[in-house]
Amino acid sequence: MNDLIFVVEDTDEDVEAIERAISRSHPHLHPEFFRSGTEVLARLAEPGGRRPWLMLLDLNMPGEDGLEVIRRLRGDSGLDDLTIVVFSSSEDEAETDACHAAGADSYIFKPLNFALFQSVLSRTLDYWRGRPRSGNVARTVVPPPGESSAHT
Amino acid sequence: MREADAGWAASLHRMWTSVVRITDRDELARLILPPLQALPGVVAVWGLRHAPGDGVLEYRWTGVPLEGDRRDLARAAAAGLIPPGLPELGFAGIVRDRFDLAGEPAGTILVAVDDTADVPMIRTCLGQVIEVTREAIRRLALRRAELAQQTRDALLAEASLQMDAVLDTTQTIRRIPRMAVPAIAEGCLVYVAEDGRPVLRGSVHVDMRRLAALLGDPAVTAHLEHLVSRALQGAAPPADTALLATRAADLQPLLARGQVVGAMVFLFDRDDAAIPPAGFLRDLAARAALAIDNGSRYERRRRDVLTMQQHLLPTRLPEIEGLSAAAAYLVGDRVIEVGGDFYDVVTAADGTTAALIGDVCGRGVEAAALTGMARHTLAALLQEGVTPARAMTGLNARLRLDGSWRFVTAGVASLRPAAGGVAVDWVSAGHPAPVVLRQKGDPVRGDGGGAPLGVLAVPRIAASRLFLETGDTLIIFTDGLTESRGPDGVMFEDDALGRTIDRLRDRPIGELVHELAAASASFGGAHTDDIAVLAIRAGLANEVNGDE
Repeated sequence: MNDLIFVVEDTDEDVEAIERAISRSHPHLHPEFFRSGTEVLARLAEPGGRRPWLMLLDLNMPGEDGLEVIRRLRGDSGLDDLTIVVFSSSEDEAETDACHAAGADSYIFKPLNFALFQSVLSRTLDYWRGRPRSGNVARTVVPPPGESSAHT
Repeated sequence: MREADAGWAASLHRMWTSVVRITDRDELARLILPPLQALPGVVAVWGLRHAPGDGVLEYRWTGVPLEGDRRDLARAAAAGLIPPGLPELGFAGIVRDRFDLAGEPAGTILVAVDDTADVPMIRTCLGQVIEVTREAIRRLALRRAELAQQTRDALLAEASLQMDAVLDTTQTIRRIPRMAVPAIAEGCLVYVAEDGRPVLRGSVHVDMRRLAALLGDPAVTAHLEHLVSRALQGAAPPADTALLATRAADLQPLLARGQVVGAMVFLFDRDDAAIPPAGFLRDLAARAALAIDNGSRYERRRRDVLTMQQHLLPTRLPEIEGLSAAAAYLVGDRVIEVGGDFYDVVTAADGTTAALIGDVCGRGVEAAALTGMARHTLAALLQEGVTPARAMTGLNARLRLDGSWRFVTAGVASLRPAAGGVAVDWVSAGHPAPVVLRQKGDPVRGDGGGAPLGVLAVPRIAASRLFLETGDTLIIFTDGLTESRGPDGVMFEDDALGRTIDRLRDRPIGELVHELAAASASFGGAHTDDIAVLAIRAGLANEVNGDE
């Protein structure tokens, strides 16, 4: 299974916290960090580059903002399977709605406490790991506990 | 010691020392299966994680892949049967062992061997691996429980912090499910009782499209409303998890001060073991309920204050020949008691117009009563043609007669038409000095002076004179305007008053008073006091005559 995730985050503290949290809860995942929307879009435009299965996205970044990144990603049919998780500390409900409308899969609150931060991130990854995004089709039925084919 | 024994001893030692580092059962499988596979004569190692009952949650393997029909064979072997088809896979036999741990899925390890294997030795090795596995799973469970407890403690602490930080009910309700998801549940809905009916006021799900699909389904919303309605009545009917497309659901009434103010619905996809204990969900709901109730009480109280404050002020200002007047009143941001600012405009029989403003110290019912009395006393006396100084002396006597400890600052501007404009006599009893906004020229500050009324037996009243040319505006106000403080402690009066008035010079008078009050409130932020501003402009009658 694809173990690559992209993290788009411009704050040093948050980059450090996300890296630490993922390395503890999901050591087998490989996060690749980007400081701006422009950077990640350029990386995705590289021909033959490895594609992530999930992108963790901050909304407020210099240059191309997170919302615009979501719109651009969803406009690319080659990225239909990509799960987009917005990780934000904003309380603006209009922003949540805009992200949903643009095609984000999750809008997750960024807690202050690290234990909580780690748990929130871990649960989000677990959720989408067990429930891969399938194009733009809304799935409303919970599958039974899945089989694993991890091979050692 | 044989070479194989030494190799196995090293492997076993590595497994035991690695037990403390593994973070999940997948990692455990990667730790324990390969060393068994490496034993002489081993063809495959299969691991099965059992579900309660007969099912199997997970399959892991090394050697021959455990896929397709082989899984039936593996389940049969795990049950102690000798299934057909082993020779086709190159298996001469299967060595089996199982572990069971309370509260954790049981597991079976099957070691498939060929004819060359030393079966007793493999059985011993497998037994040792089972011991390692049992210890690893025990540690994993402990670590998981510790982490879950840390998360719950952190969530409760953060929830209290976040909910205490706001008194706005809407914001509180939005924060609660945002904090809960996905830390403790995949979805969380907050219903609030409004006129006895449940109204969905907050909803978050880790999967936004799933939430939209749920809330867009009338059968789902009807079921949820039914559940919450029953909860409001003290009942606890079971949730239809199939309809809600979730593995488990929990409903917690929001109980504050003995009243059910709503309910929270938690939706879970996670395993039962990862669902927080009911006591924790109850605790979180209790904190949320209290925050919502506090917010509602605060909002009710503030509405009452605003209504009462309006009754203490004139509903509209009179129209005066040759003058235009406007007033603005802003109640402080976090104020939940009636304040003591007042103003009015009256015209005496001789044609003199009196603009009066004042501020009773303190807040609350007593201050409100004094505010009404002070305004009406001054207005009535001035309307009868009593001079401002005598009107203030009258109010001073009345305040002292009442025996209240509260004092009142007041200012009265008497305005009379004069050649080329309007003459203004300003008397002040400890009140902030007025500002004259010149139509042509910089704003000018008048004099304050005097002492607050209600303190001295003989009041000390300061008098000064101002003149308004046509187009000039007299601005009088309470200290809430001038003394609002920015984050660095600097007062609006010292930093921005002159600049703001100058910026607003060309605005209609109604806009001027409102924007001036708003600028001060914005400068002072959440700690702003009440602000009253009254402005009179000379020579531009019928321009704007607004008040609130």
